[in-house]
Formats: sequence, structure tokens, C-alpha cells
Amino acid sequence: MTLPQIIVDLLTLLFNLAVPSAICTMVLAGIALRQEGGVNFQTGGKFQRWVLWSVILLTLPQLLSWFAAQGITMPAQGGGIGSAWVASLQTSFSGFVSNVVVAKLIPLLAAFCVLKAALDAAEGQSPLASIIAGLFLLSVSGTVQLMQSWNSGSEFATTDMLTSAWNFLAGTILPEAAGLAIVGAIFNYARHRPFMPLVGSGLAFLSVSAIWQLVQAMAG
Amino acid sequence: MNLSNGLLNLTNWLGNVIMPTMAGLFAAAAVYRFSKGHPYSHLGYAALASLMCSGLLRAMESFSNQAAWNNPDRYWISVLTLVNWVGNVLLPLYGAGQVVLAVAHFAGLLERMTIGEAWVRNLISAMCCFSLSGLLRLGEFWVQHGTGGVR
Repeated sequence: MTLPQIIVDLLTLLFNLAVPSAICTMVLAGIALRQEGGVNFQTGGKFQRWVLWSVILLTLPQLLSWFAAQGITMPAQGGGIGSAWVASLQTSFSGFVSNVVVAKLIPLLAAFCVLKAALDAAEGQSPLASIIAGLFLLSVSGTVQLMQSWNSGSEFATTDMLTSAWNFLAGTILPEAAGLAIVGAIFNYARHRPFMPLVGSGLAFLSVSAIWQLVQAMAG
Repeated sequence: MNLSNGLLNLTNWLGNVIMPTMAGLFAAAAVYRFSKGHPYSHLGYAALASLMCSGLLRAMESFSNQAAWNNPDRYWISVLTLVNWVGNVLLPLYGAGQVVLAVAHFAGLLERMTIGEAWVRNLISAMCCFSLSGLLRLGEFWVQHGTGGVR
């Protein structure tokens, strides 16, 4: 069955808006990260959900190809938008995301995170949570580019991208977090607060892949 | 901008800029608490640890690098190495300090640093107050020479 041109154009529009939408969902993930603690996240919480939506949006064509491989008819992808009006919609939304969200809104949100960090410190709480959320927000566009580089192009690109995200966390981010754990342990020691959890977690940050292997060995 | 660089720079700034600066504050607080006859040793140790954040992280990295990244025993081995380091390096040093303290106690020096008879404590506090920068430089000297390892 041949689809009407306007439907084809709208489908193409939706596919083309996937990457800008992924940037928006990553911004929402950054806000959710601060809500959930800044240095931690809730299992099944908003942060996880928004990151998952980002991954799904970035791998939408590959995800749909899996359904197509099961025999489900999927709309054709690719090609340009025939209607000038629909094309202008895409240009407007992409321009809004790059010129307003990425260029203006994200630095502003990160700046408010810095303000929040100062206020947290004034209340005697750790400023690190807001600082890390601010760093996450500032690096949203870079993170989306990094995630796009993880797209394997296969039918399982969604899970492949999540696997790459795990590897990035375990191999790059957590060893850096070990340095923060050392600083936190020294501060806690000076203030007569528990510091051994930070020493133990610092060691765990440096060997989280091995702990995953250990859990797998226990389960297997 | 990317998250990894941001976190790396944040860690470097905290560990190599802020913490060595905070060492001075910890040392000053230690001197103040010593002058009042209050426990001060944790602040002294915190000042020393603040000067060697990078070294402590390198130590933890070496503890966890005893096994391959995908070795299920890696965490256990890293904790075991930490325990060995505490038992075979830190405790002998602490023991040597205890011997020095035993001699000082036997000589009656530490009795003159209590609340009741405080003139030695006050004298040492005054010397520390006048030479805090020197004490910090001494700590930095120890840390810098410690990077070469024990010979």
C-alpha cells in the first residue's frame, strides 16, 4: 500500500527529529539526576528512564529494523521531505534545540546548579551533587555525540548502546570518581565522619567490572 | 565539552589545588586544638593526607591493579592488598611512633602538656603558630620525597 505523501513526510519528520529530541531527553535526565541525588540515581527512576528514551531515540531506525526482521511491516525510512511546510517544521524544531536549548538553556541550567551547590554548601550539605549535575548538563551535546558513536547499526543497536554506556561508566567515569572518593574520605576523616565507606567504594569504583564478573560467577 | 573531561578536571582541581590549600587550614586547626589540650591528631593526619591526594589515589589504583580488570577476585585482592599495606607498612610506622611516645611518657614530658600543667604545651603551640608555613613546607617536603618510595 502506498502511503500518502503527507504521511511519508510526517514520518520522515519524526525520524529526523529523533536526535534533537534525544538532546532534550538528556537535558531532562540531567535535571532528574540532581533530583535523585546528583552523585547517585534511583533504580527505575526518572534519570534512568530519560537516558533510556535518549538511547531509544538515537537508535530508532535500528530498533524498528528489529521489528521489520520479525515480519512486521515498517514505514520506509530515509529520503527528503517533499512538503515545504513540514520541512520548515523540522528546521524550526532543530533550530530551537540547537540555538535555544543547547546554546542558551543548558548553560543557564548548569549555572543554576552551581548556585544550588553554593546554597547546599551553606546548609552544610555536599556541593558535589549539584556540581556533577551541572557538569552532566553542560556536556549533554557531547554525550549525545558520544552515544551516537556507540550506535552499532545492527538490530540490537539499542542494547549495544546501553552496553557501551555501561563500559563508559565502568571504565572511564568511575575511576575518575575514585579520586573524588579519596577527597571525600579525607574531608570526612577531618570532620570525624565515617570515611571507610568512601575508601571501600573508591576501591570498588576502580574494579567495578571485576565485581560484575564476580556477581556473574556467583550466579552462574 | 564532555562529561569525562569535566569530571577529570573537577577531580584534579579538588585533589591538586583545593586539598593542598585546605591542608593549611587543617594544620592550623590542629595547632589550635593542641593548644587547648584537645585531641588534635586526626587534623594533623588530615593535613598530611590533603597534601597527598594524588598519591593516595595512585596507592588505591595500585591496590586494585593487582589483578586483571575482569578477574572476579580483583576487589577481594585489592582489599587484601590494602590490609597488607596497613599491616606491613602503616602499623610498623605507627608502632615506631608509639615507642617514641613511650619514651616521652617515661620522661614525663607528656604530663607537662596536660591541662593541669600546660607550660610545655603552650610553648610548643606558640612555636607551631609562629612556624605553620614551615610545618606545611616540611609536610610537602616529606610528600615530595615520598614519591620516590621507601629506600
